[in-house]
Amino acid sequence: MTPSTSTKTRPAAKRKSSAKKTAPTKGLAAVTTFIPAKAPATEKSKFSAPPALGPERPVAWPKRTVKTLANGLQVVLAESHTFPKISSHLYFRSGNAAVAHSHPGIAEITAKVIRTGTATRSSRQIEEDLRRMGADAGGSAGADTSVISINGLAEFSNGILELMGDLARNASFPEEQFERERRQKIEELRVERTTPGFLANERMRRVIFGDHPYAIIAPTEEQVAAYQRSELEHYYHHHYTPANAVLIIVGDFQSERILAQIEKVFGTWNAPTRELQINPAPPNPEGRHVHLVHMPGTVQTQVLVGNLSITRRNPDWYRVVLANSIYGGAFHSRLVMNIREQKGYTYSPRSGVNALRQHGYFTVHAAVRNEVAAATLTEIFYEMDRMRSLPVTPQELESARSYLTGVFSLGVATQDGVLGQLSTVYLDRLPENYLEKYRAKIHELTADDILIAARRHFDSANAQIVLVGDRDQIATQAALFGPVTEYNAHGNLT
Amino acid sequence: MTQSSKHLQIPVEHTTLKNGLRVVASPDRSAPFVTVGVYYQIGFRLEPRGRSGFAHLFEHMMFQGSENAGKMEHIRLINASGGLLNGTTNYDITNYFEAVPSNALERVLWLEADRMRALKVDDENLRNQRDVVKEEVRVNVMNQPYGGFPWLDLPPVAFRNWPNAHNFYGDFVDLDAATLADVQKFFRTYYAPNNAVLLMLGDLDPAEAFKLAKRYFEDIPVQPKPPRADVTEPRQTEERRGEVPENLGPLPALAIGYTAPPRTSPDWYAAAILDRALHGGRSGRVFRELVLEKQIALETDGSYDGFDTNGPTQMVTRIFHRPEYSADATIAAFDSVIRDVQEKGITADELDPVKVKFRADYYSMLEGGMGSYMPRFGLMHYLACFTLFDGDPTRINTVLDGFLAVTPKQAQEVARKYLVPRNRAIVARTPVPHATPETTGAAR
Repeated sequence: MTPSTSTKTRPAAKRKSSAKKTAPTKGLAAVTTFIPAKAPATEKSKFSAPPALGPERPVAWPKRTVKTLANGLQVVLAESHTFPKISSHLYFRSGNAAVAHSHPGIAEITAKVIRTGTATRSSRQIEEDLRRMGADAGGSAGADTSVISINGLAEFSNGILELMGDLARNASFPEEQFERERRQKIEELRVERTTPGFLANERMRRVIFGDHPYAIIAPTEEQVAAYQRSELEHYYHHHYTPANAVLIIVGDFQSERILAQIEKVFGTWNAPTRELQINPAPPNPEGRHVHLVHMPGTVQTQVLVGNLSITRRNPDWYRVVLANSIYGGAFHSRLVMNIREQKGYTYSPRSGVNALRQHGYFTVHAAVRNEVAAATLTEIFYEMDRMRSLPVTPQELESARSYLTGVFSLGVATQDGVLGQLSTVYLDRLPENYLEKYRAKIHELTADDILIAARRHFDSANAQIVLVGDRDQIATQAALFGPVTEYNAHGNLT
Repeated sequence: MTQSSKHLQIPVEHTTLKNGLRVVASPDRSAPFVTVGVYYQIGFRLEPRGRSGFAHLFEHMMFQGSENAGKMEHIRLINASGGLLNGTTNYDITNYFEAVPSNALERVLWLEADRMRALKVDDENLRNQRDVVKEEVRVNVMNQPYGGFPWLDLPPVAFRNWPNAHNFYGDFVDLDAATLADVQKFFRTYYAPNNAVLLMLGDLDPAEAFKLAKRYFEDIPVQPKPPRADVTEPRQTEERRGEVPENLGPLPALAIGYTAPPRTSPDWYAAAILDRALHGGRSGRVFRELVLEKQIALETDGSYDGFDTNGPTQMVTRIFHRPEYSADATIAAFDSVIRDVQEKGITADELDPVKVKFRADYYSMLEGGMGSYMPRFGLMHYLACFTLFDGDPTRINTVLDGFLAVTPKQAQEVARKYLVPRNRAIVARTPVPHATPETTGAAR
């Protein structure tokens, strides 16, 4: 549940910043003091310029073994031998969006209850089996995907696969575990209703997606209280099917050997798959509108700005991702430089393109002190409009291309990184060479491409604004940006 | 366990430069990336009195400009090389680290050397970062349900000596009081080559990497050895309790912390294994009893920073319990879990799988440890701690044996010796009652 995600025992100070020099000093700053150098001045020439980059070593994504079994289960294997572990994820191409209008949140609770019992293993047995194999299991569902994951020591890969198969095929949904998860979900919802980030996302999805299933990110307490165990079983039987699944395993194994084991465990799994419904794109909201979620007494305002955008399958994807990294998607981006490093309004501003499988959306968020909510919005739109009006500089373009391709490829260095990238490729049904081609696709982009992407996909005129904070502190500021609708923390109109 | 041959061996080479900077390299050519870290042996435990939060504020200042890389140059140069960077402030260390394509190794070393040599910041930078840090505290603590629980709540209750017991994120009045002169003094005192270790991991040749380290770092002048604050705690004689209001979240929560054995003592190994037997996921005894069996709690977890602390540290249990159970009833249920271990011990049948999981977690930590975007973060982190605290980075390859050798008898003895009321502190996060709840209909 939500509290456990804040287990952090120390502040990990994220840094974000941008490419420009500080604003010229004025007034008080005339007394500018510099920290004296420890080193003699003679060293200066030797070290005054950064060394050039050496020749680049190409990134080699691991070779994949891809096979579709007779029952339709797609298997993707990638070997990685540095650490004696394996990461295995069994994905299903359906999640909460598939049931958002009939049974909101059923996909998620189904994923959670699956690991609590099978026909032959009790909850306790499953947990002990996991520990014996040095393994962790997880079950979760997002809008488009449900997943069972088990990561553990490579020496136990057979046992890990057997347990995975058992969870995928024989989950028993024990009554008392279902009740426990239900109770926990209700408490988790109550915590979420006190979490500014959750409230902002909830409202934004409602506003942008309207009648589309993506509009609903969480059930209500009443809906959870009404869940039937049979509804979980129903979801499980209809969506946890081989033809709806992709099994991705990365780790320290021999592909041929593990493939034989996979055939043994999953080969006899047969279950019919029903076709998933694709819902048409919702209409783009027209005109800026402010949605104020009132949380009395908060010391900060959660600012979230967004508009409908595209998926990874859209030809503009690379353009918009690069534009985003210059706008607010990286530490050295313009927005971070502006509202963090120059103005000190916020700790962790960020923008991103959220590629859900059917439709994507673009968001900008910042948690700021109440007095500067309007000033923050002004800068968010200023930087957005600047991206739409003027080409980026050659230096920005070059930096952003290197940043994006470098960071994209960092995933190759860990099992989870490889697994994450492979899951994007196979779940979104991207071209098989997506990873290998990514770098070239980014490097061929020009300043014009970025201008095109910003004009098409940073919809400043029709952007929706969500503010989560204390009405008494921010209502006047909110009204500067368009008509305001107010909600309470339950998400209801006030 | 007799699986020593199965244990992963990490290649480690290390040297010390003339100015006292320790340098550690660990090659792994499997992917064309390097992870570089500079760890200074200064953390929030050792920050100056009257300047709570200063070590962390200072960490922000290290990104504000150095002699040859002005404000934002550092970040821009790393990002433009295709890499990521960050820094964190901890109890006894502050770290700065980058993951970059391996062709940027020299550039990263240049940047890290430049800011170790000469920080160059002004009042405007300080004002700016003070504002940023305040927003960081607001977003992570004040405006977040259970923010700072329990890492900010427990120390003031558990400890009596200021270095261990103050507000590590900083009181705003102390942050406001910080001056550029403080920044200057702190930099001179603690950010010296002889108070640091440089780590270079990944796609590199150690001999070449050492040569580069020498070129960029060796002539940074050595500084007088920084004073070591006295972090010892007066002997505790009774249980300590505190209460912190929870302004946002609706669930009552408890944090129970036991002060752990000193680093690398024989009990230290046993305490870590005992911690995993109690808190290791859903098969850990605390979760099993309180969440799955008795269903008093909705969530429990544990944390114990045994590796990366070098002073009084606690083994902490967090319990989010159902409101219909009182704090006392919840503590009683927790106590019966502890008593059971103390009286009946933990059998080898239970302890052996705990150790298998410990080994798996150790490998996972070395490989990632901070998400897949920062490869080998954990390896870097542990190498740094073994170097700074124990003077021996190669412990990365031997320390596991100590944990895997823990016997059921040792685990029981440690439970009896340390998991006792006079060695613990309990903090309750108690939800502040709010006005009548509004209607909860479906959100539209």
